[in-house]
Amino acid sequence: MHRRTLYRLTYLAAAMSLGHHLDHVIRHNAVGWPLTGQVNAFTVSLVVYPVIATSLMLYRAGRVGPGFWALVSGGGAVFVSAVHFGPAAVEPPEMILGGYGPSVLGWLAFAWLVTFVAVLAITSLYETRLWSQQRQGRHATRPATGVGTGR
Amino acid sequence: MRPQPSVPAAATGVGGAVLLVGTRVALWLGVQLLVAGLLVLAGVTATGGQALNGVAGWWMVYGALVDLGTLGVIGWLLRRDGSTYRRLLGPPTAGWQVAVGALGVLAASVPAVVFSGELTSAVYGTAIAPMFAVVDVPALASAVSVLVVPLLAELAEPVAYLGVVLPRLERRLGRPWLAAAIVVLMWAVEHAFFPLLVNGARLDLEFAAYRVGSVLPFLAIWTALYYALGRRLLPIMAARWVFNGGTAFALAFGLVK
Repeated sequence: MHRRTLYRLTYLAAAMSLGHHLDHVIRHNAVGWPLTGQVNAFTVSLVVYPVIATSLMLYRAGRVGPGFWALVSGGGAVFVSAVHFGPAAVEPPEMILGGYGPSVLGWLAFAWLVTFVAVLAITSLYETRLWSQQRQGRHATRPATGVGTGR
Repeated sequence: MRPQPSVPAAATGVGGAVLLVGTRVALWLGVQLLVAGLLVLAGVTATGGQALNGVAGWWMVYGALVDLGTLGVIGWLLRRDGSTYRRLLGPPTAGWQVAVGALGVLAASVPAVVFSGELTSAVYGTAIAPMFAVVDVPALASAVSVLVVPLLAELAEPVAYLGVVLPRLERRLGRPWLAAAIVVLMWAVEHAFFPLLVNGARLDLEFAAYRVGSVLPFLAIWTALYYALGRRLLPIMAARWVFNGGTAFALAFGLVK
């Protein structure tokens, strides 16, 4: 059940990320390589897709667990928040809200971004809870050793 | 009706949910209209509109009456259903879990803060949002709005919507996502009823719509977090207390510019 939820949340976050990158492409502001010659935050953010693909393979193979996913989702939330909402944001909300002719499209793109960051943060908290439960479960099932075996 | 094993066992009929939400809305409206009526009758203000705008300055104080009424209804429902308040708060949660969870809830609320800020700028420019601009109370009332009201609000509001209304709707509808969407919408619409502001001779409906839009992302995120945290309410209540208490503190000390 939890595994299925984790997969669903990951696919949702990936779809929202793709939608946000499409928004960049349509607005054509704050874009970088491969659309322009400049390497910037847009270019760096494209690394998320190989990261997700690799993480999914590692998770399927049982090499990584919810704790790893919590870092991936949380890291994504921090990165996107810093780029868009932080005090030194390279693409503040005004660039999105004013990036389209009709303002309703700007608000739609901005609402998409806000939802995207919220999904990443909520997913990270969910994965953190799973990780914490997993650790508690391991502690509970670990056999007691070393009790009364003084040297 | 499909069984929902994850829904708290205390959840019963949807009538209790309607009663609870109805009570909150009726209390918000009732308190404001009653005090405004008294002000007009006493000759303090000439028109009902002026009276309502005057009463609006106290909304962070009279909110306590709404939350006390909510707690009364919750208590009555719990007695009727043979349940306890503690059960509404979800599985046992250690102190450190509440603290870490609350920090997570605050961090996850950042997108909502940004959205709400942009919406305020779009509607009111550089001015303070009206629900904060109208607040004008003496020092003692400010102290109550900082120390008492945020605490009462956390004991009543999220417990009402997430602890009582949501499980009942889930049980009735059999679809948690639909129940959650309805709860978020109802919760947001409740905010349209306080404070009631009058612009010219009419109710300021633009402000009411702004109120709904500005709180919607917060409520959606907190409701999603309720599920993400395994239906634990305490981290959400703690984070909301910091958030709302901080806002009341900033208003009381004139830090909102």
